[in-house]
Amino acid sequence: MLKKILMIATFATVSSFSNMTLAEENADSLKTAVEAAKTAKKAAATVGGEWRDIGKFLKKAKKLAADGKFDKAVKLAKKAETQGKLGKAQMEGQTNLEFPSYFTK
Amino acid sequence: MKKLPLILSVCITACLSLSVALSSAQAASPAEDQKIFQDFFKKKFPDIKEAEFANGVYAVDSVGRESWEAIEEFPPYEPVVDKGAEMWKKPFANGKGFKDCFKEGPAIAGKYPHWDKEKSMVMTLPLAINNCLEANGEKPLKYKKGKINNILAYMAFESRGQKVNVEMSDDPKALEAYQKGKDFWLAKRGQLNMSCAGCHAQNASNKIRADVLSPAFGHPTGFPVYRSKWGGMGTLHRRFTGCNKQVRAKPFKAQGEEYRNLEFFLTYMSNGLELNGPSSRK
Repeated sequence: MLKKILMIATFATVSSFSNMTLAEENADSLKTAVEAAKTAKKAAATVGGEWRDIGKFLKKAKKLAADGKFDKAVKLAKKAETQGKLGKAQMEGQTNLEFPSYFTK
Repeated sequence: MKKLPLILSVCITACLSLSVALSSAQAASPAEDQKIFQDFFKKKFPDIKEAEFANGVYAVDSVGRESWEAIEEFPPYEPVVDKGAEMWKKPFANGKGFKDCFKEGPAIAGKYPHWDKEKSMVMTLPLAINNCLEANGEKPLKYKKGKINNILAYMAFESRGQKVNVEMSDDPKALEAYQKGKDFWLAKRGQLNMSCAGCHAQNASNKIRADVLSPAFGHPTGFPVYRSKWGGMGTLHRRFTGCNKQVRAKPFKAQGEEYRNLEFFLTYMSNGLELNGPSSRK
């Protein structure tokens, strides 16, 4: 009987320890994804190319994380990062523009 | 041996002249831009009289025009003009009023936007109104909705019939602001990768979902507008904000540098048209 109790106690301790590690891992990967998204957002804004929904995605990711939905939160933060990078790339080279050819055809 | 430097200097001079000639050939002047812009719309819509472009989408949307003309019989902006007239007359807490800031009277919409050389920036009428309020210890008004539309509507109404006549300064900073406004209008932005020009020049009069796209020639003449979609009045920068959101780009601050430069460019492009604000739009 004592052996059985010991085994259960050991299992409970190990699983609680590994759960804590998982939670920390989740928090870490979310933190990394959110920081990368914020950097990309800022870079896009610097060239006037931020897209509309990046801020919204980041807010939603925070809410998802609070509800324990880390995978979805990370996915959304990565989407925000991608949009930030695309917004910056879109604006690059769009200076000193002239009217397109259809104006004079 | 002395001939080499001479040949070299001739070559350098020739190269520099060529590059200057090429760059000036590439960059059109504002006046050239204006001609290209206006000619484009006149050619695209040969049956529309030039003055009609001041009516925005209703110049090219005959169905929408029917309801617009009916709405204009009892203009939804009329009470707003009346409130603006009261604002104009009502003294500030210090006893002064708008008339002390705008000594030529309320009919001055045709003087805006303009290049303010002293401040080295584009000055718009809403900004001038708030400068006046703040200089007299009053709280500034919000730039998109609300009371600013009252005073703007009154001033626009009093200015009806004036011609858009934005003067292009030869100040290099003014030309820089103009080019930034032009860049803004031509640049593709947002997740939908669309530009102002793509919708309101290339596709003007085409439908985007159920709506007919208005021609850009004449865009700024009728503001502020009562928009059925808004159920109220809005400024030109409120409309810019909406357009940017529609292409899924993050809008800029109303009366920030980006939208003021855009207004400068866009209004200069409509030089010669009559001011007909306030107006109503769908």
